[in-house]
Amino acid sequence: MSDKTEPIGPATVVVVSGGSRGLGLAIVEDILAQGAKVAAFARTVTPELEAVAAAHPDRVVAASVDVTDVKAVNAFLKEAESRLGPIDALVNNAAMGQDSLHVHTSPEHIARIIETNLTAPLLLARAVLRRIMAKGNRGRIVMVTSVCAQRGYSGLVAYSATKGGLDSAMRTLAREMHGRVLVNSVAPGFFASEMSSVLGQTQLDTITRRTPSNRLVEPENIVPVVNTLLFQDTNINGQVITVDGGNSI
Amino acid sequence: MSALSRDAIRTMMAEVLQAQGKSMPESDSANLEEIGFRSLDFSELALRVEDEIGDELNFDAPELRQIATISDVLDFLEQLQAA
Repeated sequence: MSDKTEPIGPATVVVVSGGSRGLGLAIVEDILAQGAKVAAFARTVTPELEAVAAAHPDRVVAASVDVTDVKAVNAFLKEAESRLGPIDALVNNAAMGQDSLHVHTSPEHIARIIETNLTAPLLLARAVLRRIMAKGNRGRIVMVTSVCAQRGYSGLVAYSATKGGLDSAMRTLAREMHGRVLVNSVAPGFFASEMSSVLGQTQLDTITRRTPSNRLVEPENIVPVVNTLLFQDTNINGQVITVDGGNSI
Repeated sequence: MSALSRDAIRTMMAEVLQAQGKSMPESDSANLEEIGFRSLDFSELALRVEDEIGDELNFDAPELRQIATISDVLDFLEQLQAA
């Protein structure tokens, strides 16, 4: 008789942090299009997320929760599970940015970046894993990290440290879970929209020219990768998938 | 400790430039790129000011990117001290 482990099935109830706008919202919409249920939270629930929740009342739970508020996050997970069923997946997407040289970033700001981008995602992953394990289930976790974890970019010291930390934790979690939970990272490059807010058109053109695909990254490029990691049987586990048009190669 | 005057900051800026063998122009409208005063030099100047006033002057990079002239440097450091 074969002792081959059966593949982990597609996600059915997915928690998405930072799901109210941008990439997070696009991931929420994609999960719904896939037929799964979503528990999405963010510090502020946008009208867009409200509309999605109203359109799918039996498949979406959305709430205003600060990812660093452990008690509120745990209460949200409990509420989501009571309405949607057992949680079996997480997209750890919520994060705050940085644009300041390390020597001019206050200790309080550094602590806030670490709390939001590293401590909170680790605690959220822990909480979701505890629910998956306690019910004897299997599941999937996707960390949204960044190309900053692999390459040096000025003004992003603490941010890069948190994303690198999350990638490292991802690999260790994948090992710890022994294939019972698939854990991976998606590492986007800089989004065109984010860059255009701080850089001029000339700088944007230069970066685009240096990107082998000749295109800056858009949230739509990340969504299919997250979809694959949540729903397909790829056996990808403990990996960082970088999506940056080849800019970092 | 009280805030440094514009003149005192200007003197410190001249010291940063002199340490690299560069000279401080007379005119505050001089362009930073032309005199070779880079962003890290501004950082060094800000840290020297911090040492004098005994307080941190933290700021984000976008504010730094808008600085183009000596006058901008002095204005920004005055604003940071007043904040």
